[in-house]
Parts: sequence; structure tokens; C-alpha cells
Amino acid sequence: MKKIHVIEDLCNGCRLCQTFCSSLKNGVFNPDDPQTGIRILKMPGEEQDIPLVQCSGACVRSIGEDDQPTCVTLCPTGALVYGNLDFARARRLELAAARKTHGLFKVVAPWKWPFAWAKPRKGTGKGEEGGKER
Amino acid sequence: MRDNKVQTILRVDLSTAKTCLEPLPEEWTAKYIGCRGIHSRLLFDEVPPGTDPFGPDNVLYIGTGPLEGTPIGMGRLSVACKSPRGTVAEGSCGGFFGPELRRAGIDYIAIRGKADRPVYLWLCDGKAEIRDARHLWGRKINETDALLREELSDPDVQFRYIGPAGENLVHSSPIFGNRDNSGGRAGCGEVMGSKKLKAIAVRGSGGIRVADYEGFLKAYQHFRQRVDIATSRDVWTPIWGAYGAPVIVRVFNDQGGIMTRNAQEMHWDEEKCNRVSAEPYLEKYVTRAKACFCCPLPACKKQHEIRSGPFQGFRGGNLWAAIPSVFGPLLDNDDLELIIVMAGMCNQYGLDVFHVAYTLAWGMECFEKGILTRADTDGLELRFGCPDKAGLLDLIRKIAMREGFGDLLARGCAEASRVVGKGSEKFALVIKGQELEAIAQRNSYMVALGVAVSEVGPDHTRWYPPHPGHPGLLKNEDLARLGVQLDLSKAAQGRNPEEKGKVLRWFTISRAIVESLPSCVFLIRDTLGFDLHPWHDLFQAVTGIQVDYTEFIRAGERVMNLDRAFLVREGFRRADDRPPLRMATEDVPEFGYPKLDASIFDRMLDDYYRANEWSLKTSIPRRHKLEELGLGDVATNLEKCGMEVET
Repeated sequence: MKKIHVIEDLCNGCRLCQTFCSSLKNGVFNPDDPQTGIRILKMPGEEQDIPLVQCSGACVRSIGEDDQPTCVTLCPTGALVYGNLDFARARRLELAAARKTHGLFKVVAPWKWPFAWAKPRKGTGKGEEGGKER
Repeated sequence: MRDNKVQTILRVDLSTAKTCLEPLPEEWTAKYIGCRGIHSRLLFDEVPPGTDPFGPDNVLYIGTGPLEGTPIGMGRLSVACKSPRGTVAEGSCGGFFGPELRRAGIDYIAIRGKADRPVYLWLCDGKAEIRDARHLWGRKINETDALLREELSDPDVQFRYIGPAGENLVHSSPIFGNRDNSGGRAGCGEVMGSKKLKAIAVRGSGGIRVADYEGFLKAYQHFRQRVDIATSRDVWTPIWGAYGAPVIVRVFNDQGGIMTRNAQEMHWDEEKCNRVSAEPYLEKYVTRAKACFCCPLPACKKQHEIRSGPFQGFRGGNLWAAIPSVFGPLLDNDDLELIIVMAGMCNQYGLDVFHVAYTLAWGMECFEKGILTRADTDGLELRFGCPDKAGLLDLIRKIAMREGFGDLLARGCAEASRVVGKGSEKFALVIKGQELEAIAQRNSYMVALGVAVSEVGPDHTRWYPPHPGHPGLLKNEDLARLGVQLDLSKAAQGRNPEEKGKVLRWFTISRAIVESLPSCVFLIRDTLGFDLHPWHDLFQAVTGIQVDYTEFIRAGERVMNLDRAFLVREGFRRADDRPPLRMATEDVPEFGYPKLDASIFDRMLDDYYRANEWSLKTSIPRRHKLEELGLGDVATNLEKCGMEVET
């Protein structure tokens, strides 16, 4: 069964999912609307943001063309994943593997990083000195 | 439920403790849009020339605009007042305060008067309450945040506050929010401190209705495509969006655009530079990404933590590009941990990082050249390379608390060099009394012109991004179709004075619009810098006001002219639009960067004034231009104040 899965470590707390979700029914942006299917719980001191999903993923409407819930389409970091359990597990493994190659994937999911030509690797080119320092 | 045509202003008088909420004229939304635009209008109308910046008559404005609360607003908030240096003090900051304020039914707050004891302002769904803040006075930013959160016991209350630096009227201190967001470095925090206003807290429960939701969705999808890291055509978008700002330190260094050792040199040792750039920062210190409200970029901001060594356990966030550039090369300091801690301390004490970095660099140069000695610096060995780390960190605290040697630096570079004398004026990198930012000028004439003419003192966000886009992405014909007559290949050449006036004029106007909507200028790269159609569509969909594109652009021109009118009314003239003495008089021969010659600079300045139709002699906007923009009353006001307004 397809579901919206959450990778908490990637959430940057922007509340785009929550804000957009609240508007889909009646065109009013109100993140506090009780009908909103996803909420971001902000931990004190800006330390962590935790998405809480209370929605099956069957959107009122999806604004993307990729047949995904709106929140998943819009999430800038890739913290939301839509699919069955195996798919979600595969995404998590992909992220864990990517994190071993570069610190960039602490902040963005590898499937959101767009260009093969720009996919950074450790200790290449001019970054070498910085690499040695580590 | 808010619609977006009529905007409201909450007027607060701290002397009489009275507040009242009133609407602004409806036509202002089309004419000035909002946020920065409406602040410029209010500032010109309500703060007469000669007002004492620290007196009760200076007004502090904090406000948002018609697009805030929708996902385009990005949480941007403008703060404005008359700067203690006499200029306009206006700054934009992100976070979550803006949308919360709008949802509380308030678009702008205008704060007059002076409280007789420390207070904070509590706003909840249109109701305002002035509360006692004696228990918060003197507290650092992080402590204030924690105490207020506990007091108001709601995790979604949003705050703006000042630290001890603002309370002590330390030069250039900004207003903070969410611990590490700050805005208004031209002195908004000082003015807030002079009013004894420690904090503003807001919570709203309303929603924002857009006029044409279907149109909004379409326009948003198009906009998102242009700024998303995966689909944008602009080469810098994915790099900035994911790596975040520190990535440009090395890029600037490769181009000779770094101000090493108080701008005595233009290039930094590559090994040192690599130690403070984005990669080691990401690998070693970043814990997670952070974002402002509804930002489409994944990781423009980050949260970091130092896990070992002498600063173990130090946490913070938002290491902006400028921070490694100014605390690094400017002080010749290649210890990234020290940079993180210095920036973190500035955030905790509510200081402006540029003020602190440039005054420290000034102090270091004075110390190395024998103008200051250990007797002046309370025994601190104030040298480039930062040998005494603990002493330097303590000096930052002393600046905020105005203790000992810190009190001299707390007055800012310009004032401190006047006090010290002995030729130290030359080491003070200031324009209009305000310290520079991180971007070098000898090799980029656009930056040199931009910082010199800015109405708020050096501020690259007035024409962001600092360098025009990549000429390969846009042809001159495309630009002409967008209404910009420009030769981009010439404009993009760093050391060519041609086209700089024109391109700067366009950038200033268009960024004024983006900041007035409000939306974030940091989304703008290359092609989007010349094309405001995505924002135009969104503005129409959200407000339901139909304006054509040229008229929409005119709003930005109005804002720019109002800012200039305020500046000239305070007595600033062409002679004040100058680069710092060092840039104009000292060559850096070993890297091939000669000084910024006065004749070249004057040529660019002429071009800029001519393009704006301002007086070449005085920089006062000309009457026919003001009338064309519907600002005839501004010309009359200037004349009444004894200015010579050319026709």
C-alpha cells in the first residue's frame, strides 16, 4: 500500500507542505487549519523539525504531474517519500549510502540533487586541500 | 480571513502606551506594493528631516506585504527607520515572523515614542498589548528566546528581539528573530533599543485567501520551475540552493575578490581559503538544513554544531557567505571553528557581524602599525591571524557590553578612527558611516558603484546578485524583449565601467519590487534577474489587482526614488556616494588590481544618475521624473525643505 513516508533528518522545517496542503480545499493558506494533512512540529531552539502526517496521500488535488501528493512533489529536500514500504526502505538506504560519499547529502536527498556533472565527490579538484585537513 | 488589497498598520506609541489598528490607502498596494515599498513611503512622510534617530519621533517600522503568508512570501519581513547615521535604515530578514504577523491581521507595525522601562509587545489576532520586559533586559538573544517561549507557552509564537548590543546602542546592531535571522543592520536594533523595546511576539490564527487560486497555482508552478534546484536554467541555483552560501568564498578568492587583511590584499592563500570554505563546513559541522517559511531551496541555511575541541558543544546556525569571508580573510583567520564561534557570539549578543569584523580588522591594522598599543586594547595582542582567540572572543562580548576597549569599537569604524586619529581614518572601510560587506570592489566595478550609491549604506542585497548574470544565458535581444536595454557581455565584465550605471539601475529597481512583494532576493540568479514576469503573475493572482508589466516595474522605481529623496533630504549629496578611501587610493600591484580611479568612478556615477534622471550635480531626483512616477508631492516636499530640485 502506498503511503507518505517521512525522513525526519532531511526536513528543514520550511512548512511548504503544511501551508500548501491547507490551501488545496478552499484556496486559503492557513497552516493551522485542523483539516491539514501534514504538520511540522518545531522543536524548541530550532534544533529539529518533525513532519507529522495524518493523510493517506490521496490528495484533494495534486499540483504536480507526477501523480504524487502535493506535499511530496513540493518538498525541496526530499524529506517526504511516497510509495510502499519497500520503496521507502530503498530510499533510506540510498540516502545512507550517499551520506558516506559527501556531506551535501546531510541536507538534500541524492534523488533531488539534479545533475550528474555536478554531483560532488570527496577530495576532487580544488577541494583536495580541505579534504586532507579533515 | 485576509484578502490582500487593503493593508493594515498597527500604530504603537510607547510613550503613551496607546495602540491603534488602521487601514492604509487601498491604492498604495498597486503603487508601492508593500513591505519595503510602503516603508519607504511611510518613512518619507512621517519622519521629517533632522529627526533625532534616538529620539521619540523616529519611527521604527516592521512589516510584510501582500504576498506574505502565501508560499511566495518566504517569510520576508522588512524593518525600517531613520538610521543613526542619518541614512535610510532598511533591511529584510527571513524566518516565520512575517506570515504570523499577517495571519494576526496586521501588515505593518509603526512604533513611536519611548517607553520609560523595558517593554515587549505581544500581538495576538489584531490585539496588541505592551508588557513589562524588565526580566528580559540585558539577556542574550538565545536566553531571551527561551524565556519568551516559556512565558507564552506556544511553540508557534514568532519573535523579533534585540540583544544586549541593541540595548546598549552599539553601532549598526540589527533586529533578530528565530535566534539566527537578523535584519536591519543600518541601525534598526539601535533604534529599537533606544525605545526600550526588547521584543515583539506575534501569534495569528487567520488564513490568507488569494484572489485567483487557479491562476496562483499555475503561476507558482512556473515560478517553482525557475527556482527549483532540479529544473532551473541558472547555473548557480543548485549550487547555492544545496551547498548554501559559504560556497562562494572560494569562488570569490579565485577571482581575486576577497578582502584580505583589511583589504590590503585581494587574494588569500588558497590552502587557508580551502579550510574555511563550504566543503569542510558541510562535512564537519553541519547537522541539518534549515529554511525560511516555504522556501523552495533545500538548504540555503544550515544548523551546525562543533563536536570536539576547545569549542565543543557550540551550536548555532545560518553561517552566511559573508561570515567566513569577513571573519576569515579580512582578519587572516583560517580557523573555521573560531569563525563559527565568533559569528555565533555576534548572534547571541545581537551584534552586526560586518561591524564587528571591520572594526576588528581596523583595530588589527592600527595595532600592527603602532597606532594602537596594548595599553589601548586592555592588554590584548590584536594582530592579524588572531593569535589570542580567547581574548578576541572576550572583545566581542566587550563590544556588546561597551566595556573598556570594546566601547571604542562599539562606536563603529568611522567614529573610532575619528577618536583615534593618527592616520587611522584610512583603514576604516566605511561608506556613509556604515561598514562594508564581504564583496571586494577593486576588481568589480558593479560592486564598487552599488555599495557607494546604496541609500542604506553598503548593502549588496539592494541589487542582488552582486554580479550580473552569466552573459551566455541571455542574449541582448532577449533582454530588450524584457524591457531592459543593455549589453550584458559588457555589463558582466568586472573591470569595465561601461553599462554599469544601467545594469545597476535595473537591478536596484527590480530588487526593490521583489523585496516589496515581499519575496526573497536570494532566489534570483542569472536569467531571473532580468525577468520579473513570474512575480508579476503571482502578484496579480494573489491581490486580484490587474497591472501591466511596465506599470509593475514602475513601483520599484518609486521605491528607489523615495529612498533617494529621503537621503538627500537628510543632507546626503553626490560627494557621499563614494567608495572607501582605501579602494580609491591604494593599488594592489602584485595581483594586478589597481585602485579604483576617480575618473572611472565618476563616469559610472554619471551614467547611473543619468539613467535614473537624477541631478548629476547633487543626486537629487528631478521633478519631471518624480511627477512621471506620480510622486509630485515628493518634489514639492523637497523644495519646501530648501532643496534645489531640477526640472
